[in-house]
Amino acid sequence: MNTTLSVPLLLVACPLVFGTCVYFAKTATVRNALVACAAVATMAAGVIAAISGPLVVPGNGALALAALAAEAAAIITVIVVAIRIRSWSIGALGALQLALSGIGCMIERGQGFHAEAPAFVLDSLSTILVLVVSLVGPVIVLYAIGYMNKHHEHAHPGEGSDRRFFLLMVGFLGVMNGLVLANSLRWLGAFWEATTLCSFFLIGHTGTAEAKANAKRALLLNSVGGVALAGAAVGAARAGADSLSGIMAVKALAPMALLCVAAFTKSAQMPFQSWLLGAMVAPTPVSALLHSATMVKAGSYLVLRLAPAFSGQKLMFLVAIAGAFTFAVASTLAVGQSNAKKVLAYSTISNLGLIVACAGINTPLAYAAALMILSFHAVSKGLLFICIGTIEQFIRSRDIEDMGSIMFQLPVTTVIALTGMLSMLLPPFGMLLSKWMAIEAAIASPLILVLVIAGSALTVLFWAKWIGRIQTVSYHPAYRREQLPPTMLVTEIVLAAAVVILGVAAIPLYHRFIEPLALSAYAGVEVPEASLALLRAVKSSMVWPVFLFIGLAAAAIVIALMRFNEKHVRLPFLCGENCGELREGGTLSYSFRGMKDARDTAWSATLYFRSIIHEGAITRWCSLLALLILIAMFGEIGVI
Amino acid sequence: MNLVSNSPWIVHYNCNSCNGCDIEFVACLSPLYDVERFGALHVGNPKHADMLVVTGSVNHRNARVLRNVYEQMPSPKVVLAMGVCTSSGGVFAGCYNILGGIDTVIPVDVFVPGCPPRPEAMIDGVVKALAVLEDKRRGAETATPAKPALTFFPPAPPAQEAARQEAAHA
Amino acid sequence: MKEFITVIAALVAAPVLGGLLAGIDRKLTARLQGRVGPPVLQPFYDVVKLLHKEPLAVNRVQVSYVFLHLAFMLIVIVLLVTGRDLLMVLFAHAFSTIALILAGMSVRSPYSRIGSQRKIMQMLAYEPILVLLVVGVYLSTVNFLAATVVTTPRPLLLTMPLVFLAFLMAVAIKLEKSPFDVASSHHAHQELVKGITIEIAGPYLALVEITRFCEQAALFAVIAMFWAQNLFVGALLAIAAFVALILVDNCFARLTTFWMVRYMWTVPMLMALSNIIWLYA
Ligand code: SF4
Repeated sequence: MNTTLSVPLLLVACPLVFGTCVYFAKTATVRNALVACAAVATMAAGVIAAISGPLVVPGNGALALAALAAEAAAIITVIVVAIRIRSWSIGALGALQLALSGIGCMIERGQGFHAEAPAFVLDSLSTILVLVVSLVGPVIVLYAIGYMNKHHEHAHPGEGSDRRFFLLMVGFLGVMNGLVLANSLRWLGAFWEATTLCSFFLIGHTGTAEAKANAKRALLLNSVGGVALAGAAVGAARAGADSLSGIMAVKALAPMALLCVAAFTKSAQMPFQSWLLGAMVAPTPVSALLHSATMVKAGSYLVLRLAPAFSGQKLMFLVAIAGAFTFAVASTLAVGQSNAKKVLAYSTISNLGLIVACAGINTPLAYAAALMILSFHAVSKGLLFICIGTIEQFIRSRDIEDMGSIMFQLPVTTVIALTGMLSMLLPPFGMLLSKWMAIEAAIASPLILVLVIAGSALTVLFWAKWIGRIQTVSYHPAYRREQLPPTMLVTEIVLAAAVVILGVAAIPLYHRFIEPLALSAYAGVEVPEASLALLRAVKSSMVWPVFLFIGLAAAAIVIALMRFNEKHVRLPFLCGENCGELREGGTLSYSFRGMKDARDTAWSATLYFRSIIHEGAITRWCSLLALLILIAMFGEIGVI
Repeated sequence: MNLVSNSPWIVHYNCNSCNGCDIEFVACLSPLYDVERFGALHVGNPKHADMLVVTGSVNHRNARVLRNVYEQMPSPKVVLAMGVCTSSGGVFAGCYNILGGIDTVIPVDVFVPGCPPRPEAMIDGVVKALAVLEDKRRGAETATPAKPALTFFPPAPPAQEAARQEAAHA
Repeated sequence: MKEFITVIAALVAAPVLGGLLAGIDRKLTARLQGRVGPPVLQPFYDVVKLLHKEPLAVNRVQVSYVFLHLAFMLIVIVLLVTGRDLLMVLFAHAFSTIALILAGMSVRSPYSRIGSQRKIMQMLAYEPILVLLVVGVYLSTVNFLAATVVTTPRPLLLTMPLVFLAFLMAVAIKLEKSPFDVASSHHAHQELVKGITIEIAGPYLALVEITRFCEQAALFAVIAMFWAQNLFVGALLAIAAFVALILVDNCFARLTTFWMVRYMWTVPMLMALSNIIWLYA
């Protein structure tokens, strides 16, 4: 086993150094070149880390001191920011966090800790996260080059500089890598705060009043999480642990509950979900990178990492309820949205909820499902966000109802976006497999089961509606060529290819990596026999039916395209009053003669159930309920 | 082999008819006549239909609709013209807006005479049309049917008559 | 090898059986309405005719989805007869329907789009019942496999009678029976013309029809599974359910989409849920 600091250093420092260089680059060309180098280097670092295998960096005095300094620096930055934006609540939370960290240190000192727990750990779970961060992340950063170029054409005057933007984006990759590697609570806290700060600055990047307000909200809610994290460190120190592995070893319930609260804030679980919706004002690459593919995963990752040690605890049951509740409610709210980015945001929240729910169910099967969702969702959602970014820049609207004819204007992007959406619900893509496993795992408890079922049904509903809207096409032999910056087009294609390859490889991946990982996570832990039986059943039924899916789907599409002949094309039935020409393309071929022979266009809007799904009321009441679940968590462990 | 004539799906288009023919045609679907026993279905949609049943005469505004409906049907397809209006314009012949029978717009395969025809005659027309449909599937040439002969020619309306006489005088 | 033969036999038998059921359905309905009605083989005549028609289409996307619609339904049959995971069966079935919905949505005809959206509402109404059915099967047999349903000693009907009733209502929606036939149906419903399938013509419509036959066969097979210990009793159960559905179809007028969702999420849902809770207890 590798025990040197080189790999973590590579993963963390490489993006940070490049980010700093980017910041000081004089011209845009140099900057873009540096960003590209940073992306490639980060990818290489990720691959090296994955290949070099598991690694444990033992803690020592110097590292502990560095961690303490980093955490204090991060918290003090938060306080400085709070003073600059004149938010006393954030300032107070920052001060509290600083005080708690101090108390934690005192207790550790008092108990004579010598930081013997590993400072960084790269095991299979963190390898998955590192791969997600350092393979998907750089692609999105590359995409951002083209996106930001076009973004300037209609930028708000108060917008932050590109230098800072790319510093944050590239640097974030390093910070995020550090977060998933950290085992010591100090390092975790330091990186945790750093990601919060990245998120804060990037949300506020466009400089509008709305962006500033939303950035402030994000910082506030994440500061709550920071305080919970610092509190967890205090609790852990009192129980004699200063690291995640320590908490797992002593099975300290109170720190676990506090860490769950921190995780809920970062993963935007109810009742903390509002900041992630506000974060959608940021430029779309930011949403793709931080607010769907990587940063928000940190919370669910944390729960997932700690869960196996708490198998059989009532606390985990409540965590599962909280996650499943978020899954169901966020899916419901997504159904009522026509704003594309908000739908994606709610879908992200709901998927994170499902991961948390799986972690809470806490069986090997659920664990495997959570891992699958975590990785497939990162790739698919990153892809979807960048596609929506392109579409949004092109049609100047985020409304799904305005996306009726993008198939003509942006054929490549639209097909890629469709691939991404289908990968969220259709076989053979991995999301479906993981949903299936999640439902089977949820069978242990009726309440969780009902929530997961309701959430899954609603998920299908909003994806189907959206797919239906953007793939509405008439037959048209000549599509328009897209004029996209090469970085945008190439990154879209790369991510789409990744989605397809991962989709096809889902089953081998499951057998080869996910299942052994899930089993090893629960090695030495008492798990109910029924859940193991389910795991075996899943394994046995994951062989040929799914390949049949792939073959049949491919065959169907090939046959369809071969049989298709232009001379069999007719306009849709509009009571015989069609007046469009077949070859006109776009919406024109759907025009008909209405009153007094006037030209009219056939149009039907999508259902959004606005009369049933009142976003405000549902958010209010469900947040209250979620808060009650949180309180119940603390009641359960005897804190209240 | 009767591959296509066992299930004629019918789309019915009312072209400026007085509704007399339509009521009789709908009567064919009622339990008394029940054309569904031959497998016939009344579909409201040309894309599913094999048989276009037209009632009434063609005018300037419904001609294009009739043509669209006809073109949106998948071949093999037959057109059944119900009532004298569809062959000559019937009682509407000579009106300012009337183009004449529907054969001025689309090819007709079977004319059913009568004003309105009885349901029995209509069902007879459907059966005749089925033979044509089967021929069309085989790719055989089908004959253009003879129109029901006109036995009564309505006199020109008085106003037009007067105008013509005036023109002759001038 | 034996499994392979079973699969092939089922893939042939399902559309034939479903087509016959559809023919009997039309005949019985006609008799109930005082008509002679079409021959029992009429659905097959229809399919043969449709296969000989010109393959009209609006666009390529639509056509691909029609093929997917059939493909997923065949997978349902295969998974059912090989006794695979019932939840997977359910998913494949849902995807078949989603493929049809997307086919309807891929053309900008208002009729088919509205039909598709109503189909989505139908799914929303019946899909939870189907999942609860699968959950009930798990709780009764401690397994998700369709194969174990046959080998358990106690018929499912005895352990989950209320789920059975709820499932019948879901079947009524699936088969587009009144009062739930909102998305498309075999009777002329003028406001949607033909709803979801309006733009699907010729051979493609034949594929949709074949899918419908398969689906019908699969649904009644599931009904028979409620008494899988003695297939004779199971078949009787399926026949009784079939006749009951036709009777209901002819007694009811069509009601609105939202009424359907409200109804399904209250009465049958509560029935199924209380049965499930009883099984947990
Ligand atoms: S033929 Fe006679 S009944 Fe039929 S539409 Fe013409 S006028 Fe009316």
